[in-house]
Amino acid sequence: MIDEIKPDNLKVSVKSMKPIDNELKFMLRLSNQAKQALHYISDVRTTHYDPQSKTLTLCLSDDGREVIPGVMSKLPEFRYIDPESDTEIELRIPNKIVKLSRSAPPGELAFETSKISEAEKVVVELAWADVPYYKDTRDLKDDKRLPAARWQQHKATTSKSFRHRGPKKSK
Amino acid sequence: MAMFILDDASGIGSDDLDTLQAFIDLVIIANDDGVGLDDPVGGLQQVTYNQTETGVPQTRLNDLVNTSFSPDYGGGAQNVDTIIIAGLSGFTLDDGSSFANNGTALAPASSGLAGSSLNTTENCLVIYDTQQNICVARDGTNGDIDLPISNPVVLYHELSHAFRIVNNTLLALTAGCDPSSPEENAAITDENDLRTQIANRQSETPELRDPGIHCGSVGCDSGCCIIATVASKSFSSQQVQYLRSIRDYFVRSKEVGYAFFEQFFRDYYSFSPQVCTIMAGNPDISVHFMEGYINPLLDFWKIMIARSSENLDEFELGDIFLQLHPDRDKAEERLEALQRTSTYWLGAMSSNSEVPAELIALLQERAWPSDHIQWALVKPVHIYYDILVSYLEGADLEEIGHAFNQALESWVPEIPISNIWAALPVDQLLQELEFCHNALLQSKPNKMRFHQRLLKKFNHITSIQTVLNEQTNMAGGI
Repeated sequence: MIDEIKPDNLKVSVKSMKPIDNELKFMLRLSNQAKQALHYISDVRTTHYDPQSKTLTLCLSDDGREVIPGVMSKLPEFRYIDPESDTEIELRIPNKIVKLSRSAPPGELAFETSKISEAEKVVVELAWADVPYYKDTRDLKDDKRLPAARWQQHKATTSKSFRHRGPKKSK
Repeated sequence: MAMFILDDASGIGSDDLDTLQAFIDLVIIANDDGVGLDDPVGGLQQVTYNQTETGVPQTRLNDLVNTSFSPDYGGGAQNVDTIIIAGLSGFTLDDGSSFANNGTALAPASSGLAGSSLNTTENCLVIYDTQQNICVARDGTNGDIDLPISNPVVLYHELSHAFRIVNNTLLALTAGCDPSSPEENAAITDENDLRTQIANRQSETPELRDPGIHCGSVGCDSGCCIIATVASKSFSSQQVQYLRSIRDYFVRSKEVGYAFFEQFFRDYYSFSPQVCTIMAGNPDISVHFMEGYINPLLDFWKIMIARSSENLDEFELGDIFLQLHPDRDKAEERLEALQRTSTYWLGAMSSNSEVPAELIALLQERAWPSDHIQWALVKPVHIYYDILVSYLEGADLEEIGHAFNQALESWVPEIPISNIWAALPVDQLLQELEFCHNALLQSKPNKMRFHQRLLKKFNHITSIQTVLNEQTNMAGGI
């Protein structure tokens, strides 16, 4: 009898966050508690930052992304994790994000820049499924979700708070 | 008014934008000096264009620059300009998607067209990464994603979308990339017009993109070695083809090899485009590079591939070296060329006035500190140099093979280890190890040293500890 896959069978935690040059490096630890291999997205698909709460959200998922014109479409990177085992993955993202400003006067082109290296809390959302990703050959013209968003069955979520140390005192 | 390049805006600095690159890309599209830029007003520089060249891209550009567009998206006619935003580092859309290695055209906010909800203005925004490293599907190959895309082509692709946005004739977009949506098919078809024209200008055969496939990747096969491409003056030269085959044969076919190349590309492309720019201004460097760096590197890897595909003894290894150097005079010339290039490629400093100071500074800052560059591109040439010297000093075949094997012991097992090892399931871990053993490590000391490094780096990963300890405990397991 095959055990039923539960939404919390794949757990994720943030092991570390480290600034490197103009990037932030994260190490995530994944733990598969199911008795079968699970498949997951291993690259950051979207980054959200709330400067008020200094919360950074990294989504390893295409859920909620829009289909827009672009020079090319890149599928996520997919990996799998063995049954009842742990693994680690590394993520790197730029240490700042720039967005079009929604608070600018109407018609004005303005931006908001956020230094995400100042984040005090990191939330990670990771899409996974008990089957590997494969191209969906069905006629899905009315389904506006990106292919990997259609594939995902569950989302593992975690958060971690970081305390920033002040600048080092010179001796 | 119709087309502008964003030069500055509140919330960012002018350093965040690559206005000059956008202008250069427009000049390349137009292929004449009829393109101009007015002085900035409110952070925008208006593009002017007096078309003198005939051709589809030029006519498209002329339409976009010299037409006032007033589409009616349902709320009455409205003026819509096109604003080009180039190279905005760290740019992220409202839905959180990064624009590194991509480009887009966002329809006006009130238009209701695809992308409009991500636009905060009533203009069409063309946003593209000018430091991109994108690879797309080559036409006629049934989907091989190995065709690079240049900045002007990225911009022209997005201007194709912009043209249909400002005319309110945007075609259907679908979520999948294979087959491409009608809108992307049309933009790729337009893109191919520019690819054809640029190739014709250079008397080359056009390399076209498959309009039926919109899928792409970061990093491109054809971008295997940009410096070899510039030095040999061709994407398809023997040297470039061989470097691609080395990469595909040796390392990229496996998960750890792929991860190695991910970091290698990151490091390599952080300096190689600038090296090419410097080479373009110093043509003599290209000549020195070919014989004093690229050909030695290729010869080294040819020996490595032969070594990995057959179980060679030291005599046979020396014989392969000799087969690559049948002419002693040419080998002497190669040594001379290597000594000339050692200043900038092997890290040996000198006051050699042949070498531009900016090139030395660039390599010091970006290339030499990289473990991946050192391992794959620098140390092999060191080893090759030492073997060539001993050959020219009269070493026999067995001595050459012995020296080669000895030199490998301080190089092969020191390959940078990526974190992907920690993510491998046990069966895959075993496969990857077997590949490393056979293709790279081969000797027992090399395997032992590599295992030690893996165990030390991943001392908390059970799968690695179990597999490696089992192999070590097996009699003669390594």
